[in-house]
This record gives sequence, C-alpha cells and structure tokens, in this order.
Amino acid sequence: MSDTAIQLTGVSKRYRLRHGWYVSSIKDEVERLTARLLGRPAPPREEFWALRDITFSLEPGEVLGLIGMNGAGKSTLLKILSKVTVPTTGTFETHGRLGSLIEIGAGFHPDLTGRENIFLNGSIMGMTRHEVQRKFDQIVAFAEVERFIDTPIKFYSSGMQMRLGFAVAAHTDPDVLLVDEILAVGDASFQAKCLNKLAELKSRNKTIILVSHHLANITDHSTKVLWLDRGTVRMVGETDAVVDAYLEHVSRDMKVDDSQHEARDVSGDRPISIADVTLLDGEENPQGRFDRGEKAHIDITYTATHAVPGVVFGVSFHDIHGWEIGGVITDPDSVKVTAAVDRAVLRLTLDPLFFVKGIYMLNVYVVDPATRRYYDLRRRALRLVLDGHRAVSNETTGYVYYPHQWEQLK
Amino acid sequence: MREVVLNIYRHWDLIRSFARRDIKARYKQTALGIAWSVLQPLSMMVVFTLVFSIFARVPSDGIPYPVFAYSALVFWTFFSNTIGGGTSAMVSNAVLIRKIYFPRETLLIAVMMAGLLDLSVASLLFLGMLAYYKIGLTLTALWVVPLLLLQIALTFGVISLTAAIHVNYRDMGHGLPLVLQLWMFATPVAYPMSVIPAWLRPYYLLNPMAAIIDGYRSAIIVGTTPDLPALGVSVIVTLVVLSLGLTVFKRAAQTFADVI
Repeated sequence: MSDTAIQLTGVSKRYRLRHGWYVSSIKDEVERLTARLLGRPAPPREEFWALRDITFSLEPGEVLGLIGMNGAGKSTLLKILSKVTVPTTGTFETHGRLGSLIEIGAGFHPDLTGRENIFLNGSIMGMTRHEVQRKFDQIVAFAEVERFIDTPIKFYSSGMQMRLGFAVAAHTDPDVLLVDEILAVGDASFQAKCLNKLAELKSRNKTIILVSHHLANITDHSTKVLWLDRGTVRMVGETDAVVDAYLEHVSRDMKVDDSQHEARDVSGDRPISIADVTLLDGEENPQGRFDRGEKAHIDITYTATHAVPGVVFGVSFHDIHGWEIGGVITDPDSVKVTAAVDRAVLRLTLDPLFFVKGIYMLNVYVVDPATRRYYDLRRRALRLVLDGHRAVSNETTGYVYYPHQWEQLK
Repeated sequence: MREVVLNIYRHWDLIRSFARRDIKARYKQTALGIAWSVLQPLSMMVVFTLVFSIFARVPSDGIPYPVFAYSALVFWTFFSNTIGGGTSAMVSNAVLIRKIYFPRETLLIAVMMAGLLDLSVASLLFLGMLAYYKIGLTLTALWVVPLLLLQIALTFGVISLTAAIHVNYRDMGHGLPLVLQLWMFATPVAYPMSVIPAWLRPYYLLNPMAAIIDGYRSAIIVGTTPDLPALGVSVIVTLVVLSLGLTVFKRAAQTFADVI
C-alpha cells in the first residue's frame, strides 16, 4: 500500500456562468469572436472559481473533517474527489477504491424492487455482481428492509430508501470514503449503526473525508480538519485548533448586534425597550470568555415610556448557526412596570454555565405575555465563549454538559 | 479505443445492471410488456406494405413485400430506437451523472444491450415470416454477425456524438426524430437498392446504413454475399464516425456533471 491515500496538488475549479441551457449565449460568443477578429481584447466570460489552489494529502486511517460556510467550495471539492467532475487545473490522486456517502440512493430506480435496486446501486458504486451477491444478506439486514425486499421502492418510506442507500454504500468496502451530512439520516438506532460503521472503517485504516455543518460531528470523528473559505484553504491541521479558529471567525463575523431593534418593524409603539445588555463574570467584571462551571451574570438595562400591564423578559441561547438550543424567561408578574421608567436593570444569573466548549449567541427580548407581541428584541445581543473540555460522547450533536453525579450502588 | 474496450470489460456488471434496469423499467406497468418490441416493426411493416407495395407498387426484387420490408425494419428499428435512447441517455440519468462517478459510456452501451433484447424478440417474428414464405436460410446468413457488429459500432459512434451534444444543446432532442425519419428514407428500407440511379449510387453509399440494411437482405433472404465494395465504404464511414464520436464524448464527459 502506498503511504498516501489522497494527494491533491494545486487543484482549482472554475465554473462558467451559464445563460439558460447554453454554456455561453450565442450572442456572447459572436461578440468574443468579432472582438478577436478585430484584434481587440475579447470581453471576459462570466466565470467564478469555486476552488483555488487546494493542496493537501491524507494518509490511510486519517479522518479529515471539511468545514466552511455555505458556498465555501465543500461540495465542489467532494465532487472532484469523487471524480464526478474534473478540476480545471491541478492534479489529484486517490489510492484504492473510492466510496461515497454523498448522494446515497441516487441510483435507485423507483419502479425496481429493493432487491433489483441493491444490485443496480451496488454496481454503480463499483461492486461486481458477485460481490453484491455475497454481501446481499448483510446489506438487507443492515437496512432493515427484509420484508419489503421484493417490493418496488417507490412504495418505500423515505427513511427506508435512505437506509437502503446507506446500506449499499457502506458495504462497498471503500479505501477512501466521502461522507456528507449522512449522520442526520434516520432514527437514533440507525444513526448508531452508521457511527459504528464509520468507526469500523476507521479502525481498518480506511481514509474518510467528512463534511458536516454540525461541528460536533467533526470534532468527534476527525483526526484532522480542513477549513475552506471562499474556495481556498484557510487552515488545515489538528482538529481542535482549526475548529476553534473557525468558530472564532464565524462568531466574529456575526457581529454582536447593537442597533437592530426588530420590534421597530413590528410596531410603532414601543413602551419598553432594551437599552443595554452586558455579560459579567462572578466578580461582576465584564467578560465574554468562561470556563464551564463558572458563574455568569447578564445585566439587562431597559427603559419604559409608560406603565405596561404584563411584561416578560427572556434570553435565548443559540449556536453559531442560529439554532436555538435553550432559553429562560422571567416569571409572570415578577417584573412590573407600573409607571414610566428611565433606566432599570434586570439581572439574570447563570450558575453554573454548563454549555460544552464552543461559541454561543444570546438573544435578549421583552414580550407581552398576553399577545406574545415583542416589545423589543435584540438578536445576538451577546457572544458567550466557553472554554474547557468538549463533552466526550458518541452523540453527534449536543451543547450541554449536564451537572450530574454518578454513584456505584452495588 | 483500447481504453473504451477495456472499460467495457471492466464495467460489464454495471452495464448489465443498467441494461436490466432499462428493460425492466420500460415494461413495468405495461399490459403488453415485451410484445411492444414486435409491435413497432410489425405495424410499420403493415403500413409500408399498404403504402409502398399495394398503393405505390414499389418493386421488391421479387421478394414478397412484407418479408422484404420486415427484414429491413427489424434492424432499422434497433438502429433508430438505440439512437433515440442513447442520445437522451445522459440527460435522462442526469441525477446520477451529477452525483456519482462511473464511466459515462456504460449508459450508452446499456441502451444498445437493451435494444438487442428487443431486436431478438422482434427477430422471432422474422423467423416465423421466413418459414411462412418458405425462404430457406443458407450459409450466407452468417453475414448477419459481422453486419450487426458493424451496425453496433456505427450506432455507438453516432450516440457518443449525439449524447454529448444533447447534454449541452437540448435542440438535439427536437431535431433527432426528424433526422432519423429522413435517414430511414435515405436507406433501402421501404425500397430495394436496385432503384437507385447509377449516378447517385456513390453518394447514396456514403450513408453507412445503406450497405448494412441491403446486406442483411442479401444474406438472409436472397442468399447471396452482401455487396462488398459498398460495405467497404460503410466500414470506413463507420470508423470515422466512431473515432470522432468517442473522442468528442470522452472530452465532453468530463464536464457533463457541471453542465447537465
């Protein structure tokens, strides 16, 4: 076996922007041609580079996590690696059979039965008929579709189709496996199966390239991470270092929102508004970085123009993609606004902070509990950085390290 | 060329799977199923017999017109169906091409394989007709094998070209039925080669299908060796088309996923 599994050298990919069905419109081509004939510089074709000068290599047994914002070129890179498309410049080599869990089940034909589709999909993925025959029972058992194996798959549920697709792909016995967001497929028990399959491939010294928006997936499984930024390699190296840098970058890009009072668009009358929000540590010093288990205060400064009957304040926690992962609100009637308020401060204490290592964004809002109308909402009012250890678990997602005790009872 | 042959050998299982899929999917939820592969040339034969033989009195070199027409139609149907299917093979598998790598020419070969099945079913009726008209096969019928191989090579060349063009310009899908219809009338399907005036013959033979279709007829029905000089031209044209087709296809296939 060669000592590199994948080697990319200066790989770039250019796409021409197309007009309708045509690679370039006839009009453009005529203009280019006449310009050339007249010796003038031809107007450039509209084009963009999805990838520029990508160089990296992987050894057998390595698991590369591929991260980056939407449009960074992750999909294009996977397409090049899986040979679906060729790079415009540069070279790459892979050693051994390449498997892909990118588009599982893409080769299925709805009118064919599960059995027929296993053979079809198996051979599309590069297995011989004999090989599929040998692994047939394993595939069917893995997909849990025994009872429906001779039913056309157009009658399968989408979950069953996914499972069947994954099962075939997972049994191609690849030396290099490309995985894109598959861990979001299926129920918990099927996910566990998928993870075990990945772990098995890893232990057999196979090379895996993993793409996921869930950074927890990346940190759990990767031995190395590559961060793509607008088509170029921004950083490549040790998992934690790259993921931390990426998180830092992404959350800084999402600037803490000082100005945007969304309620203004919703209602003209704003009896209560949030003037200021600050994050303090246990000693009441402004702080944005915490260790897990520390205490944090959030001081919300607000004003009111007149008395308001019902007021509820809330703080919600979000991951860097904006997914809400939890929140707290004040009890009804605990905050009373019986007259105009010039400047009042409400304190929320979080003790202990039990988020796992990562970056979190906090929204702060105040609503009318009767109508649910926002009086004021400040999106991404605060940025909370948690240090310390990541949770050690097989779960693919998760944000909370729950305070707990273990006891050996017997 | 060597690479193509090697790829066919290497991906034989995949080609078979595609062909199997094409055949199965084509006749699923049809009442008549595989009988359609006979019905198409059969109905054409009936129409041709009425129009060309009974109405227009087109000569058929002394061969009963129905079997004269069917001997050509059975092979022409294979030709025109595989060209239709082959041309759109990339586009109708767009999902696959956009997402998974496999040698794209396997789809073309699968279309031809599926067509061969239809051809063999339609040939059963042909054999029945030969028996009915008491036409005995002689050893010259063995010419069918090289003729069929030549036809397949030509088909492969044509669909490599048209499929690659079709991915970029869907005009292909609109123009092709028209071209195939004209092509059929430029081929001795409904009439014998003997009606072509001598001055036109050299140009006429530039259509590689002319000598092939005429060859089948000579070999199977008349019991004579096909017109070898005419066939020689056909071989040369076929080789040109094939190498052009494969070159274009190979180049174009690299960007199918980006364009399709």
